[in-house]
Amino acid sequence: MSGIRIQGVSKHFGDNVALKRVDLEIREGEFFSLLGPSGCGKTTLLNMIAGFLEPTAGEIAIGGRDVTWLPPYQRNIGMVFQNYALFPHLNVFENVAYGLKIRKKPRAEIRSRVEESLAAVRLESFAKRMPHQLSGGQQQRVAIARALAIQPAVLLLDEPLSNLDAKLRKEMQTELKNLQRRVGITTVLVTHDQEEALSLSDRIGILGGGELQQLGTPLEVYRRPANRFAAEFIGQVNLIEARPLSDGQPASPGLLLFAAEGFETEPGKPLLLEAANEPSLKRGGPVKLMLRPERIRVSGEPRERGANCARARVADVSYAGNALRITAKLEGSGELVIHAPDPSFPDLPEPGQPLHLRWQPEDLIPLLPEAGRP
Amino acid sequence: MKTRGSKWRKSGFHWLLISPSLLFLGLFLVVPFVLLAVLSFRDVDSLMNLLPTYSFAQYKEIFTSDIYLGTIGSTLWVALVTTAICIVLAYPAAYLLVRSPNRKLRTFFYILLVSPLLTSVVIRTFAWIVLLAQNGLVNEFLLKLHLIDQPLSLLWNMKAVIIAYVQVMLPFAVMPIATSLEDIRPNLRQASMSLGAGRIRTFARVTLPLTVPGMISGAAIVFSLAAGSYITPLLVGGRLQPLLPLAIYQQVMQISNLPLAAAMSFTLLILVAVVVGLLGLIMKRWEAKING
Repeated sequence: MSGIRIQGVSKHFGDNVALKRVDLEIREGEFFSLLGPSGCGKTTLLNMIAGFLEPTAGEIAIGGRDVTWLPPYQRNIGMVFQNYALFPHLNVFENVAYGLKIRKKPRAEIRSRVEESLAAVRLESFAKRMPHQLSGGQQQRVAIARALAIQPAVLLLDEPLSNLDAKLRKEMQTELKNLQRRVGITTVLVTHDQEEALSLSDRIGILGGGELQQLGTPLEVYRRPANRFAAEFIGQVNLIEARPLSDGQPASPGLLLFAAEGFETEPGKPLLLEAANEPSLKRGGPVKLMLRPERIRVSGEPRERGANCARARVADVSYAGNALRITAKLEGSGELVIHAPDPSFPDLPEPGQPLHLRWQPEDLIPLLPEAGRP
Repeated sequence: MKTRGSKWRKSGFHWLLISPSLLFLGLFLVVPFVLLAVLSFRDVDSLMNLLPTYSFAQYKEIFTSDIYLGTIGSTLWVALVTTAICIVLAYPAAYLLVRSPNRKLRTFFYILLVSPLLTSVVIRTFAWIVLLAQNGLVNEFLLKLHLIDQPLSLLWNMKAVIIAYVQVMLPFAVMPIATSLEDIRPNLRQASMSLGAGRIRTFARVTLPLTVPGMISGAAIVFSLAAGSYITPLLVGGRLQPLLPLAIYQQVMQISNLPLAAAMSFTLLILVAVVVGLLGLIMKRWEAKING
């Protein structure tokens, strides 16, 4: 059991910079996710932790031991691959026993450890099967058992669930999380699936353009994304450029008043925004604010006039079962995306139907410039 | 009914397309085979004239004569040794081919590998005579270095035959091994390494077992070529080497015992078919284990 320390790690492929000076500390026993779009460098980083790639610069330590230049077979890692990578010529038992045989463990110990590992993934009765006789989900569980059987210092998961269908993926997520808790092993998951990262992780590192854009708990990265990249990558978002209004009076102290650019409640009348006062807004210049679609409340009746509310008309509706995704066009100009829970509309709203939108000052989150961009 | 009709028309068209090659094969392979089979059961008199009677006499002669049994034995042995050497030498070559760092280098290796196939076997075998003769390049070289006092007799023996065989047949072993190496997902090697196996153990436990099918198909090709070749042993081994193809040649061209030659041909054919069939069976088993 040990943590992972990544210090100033860069990776160049020729002229291509895959990672730029990443610093990251993954704590002991933590479930950590590296989240990002394809090409963001997350798999490169995982491959460097595993030892399949060497960093161009920087250091990687596992459990306090510098492993930067060690080959994978000397790092004591357990790795699970996207396509499972089970040895096709070995049966389930032999696959799980592979690492133990390499370590020249006594037969009895191998047997008990393999049985233990297979029991942990509920595949005890499949020991004699060949990989091709298993379903995708079963293969993935064998791969996890194989990685855990050697009792590695860290468990590395490279998009392990992305080849499974949606329902099975959910089940495996729960199983994986429970297993990780039970074993208590430091785990690094690479994924592009934000929901997976949010529901499994203790902490998430969002990678974009080869740089760490944000590091935080699932709650932090979703509710308080550090920048536009993080905001847009995790969930949907309304981004609003706004400039501070010095002449306007906020409704209460501790709030700041802004005028949105490109959003007008009526032609010529900009949308007024009231945001909670915080250090990042103190600079006084134009700001970028984020408004999550599910934070916007919808009512048929007008309630108040002023900031943080607008009249709009339905432009487009798509029904997702548990929620409605509505694109609403403000009476003046600008569009906002709204996620409304299913019960909020008895019937699907028609395009053109008027809506009254409002939100709380805390729902407007200021975003900082992205890492790697001015 | 309509779909059935169109199916029929479609398969009729397919038959039409393959009929020229079928006709060719039938006329020039199957018919001669049948004639040869019939011939092998004919009796001959002491002047090698064909008699109108049929018997197993020719087969009886082959399987009761020590000379012919010895010839069969050494034919199989030479083919086996050639196959073994070819597989061992082909493996690293196939590895180099598959793992070459860039496509240009890979194409270069491929061309290098198949270029011997562009010259005729006769020419390549003659080259071995130039190299291995008493006053050939190899002996001259060794003499100059004073490693030997007298020229070694490198030519006109089985060693020369095996050397020439290996050179001629190596590409046929490299290709299937390279193909099966290429089919191995790189992830498997990574998985093996993540589980603590170094390169050598990863090779022994993952790569090697997964290339068994490639090695078997390479072995089948090389074995059947080596057991049936006739020009190469004639040129570098001489016509007196105890090899079935040479014995057949002798029966046809010098003794004119056509039925015996036909019986020998069939014996050789069946021996090779049995070996190749066995290899195929092993491969089927192995692939069934892996792929279901």
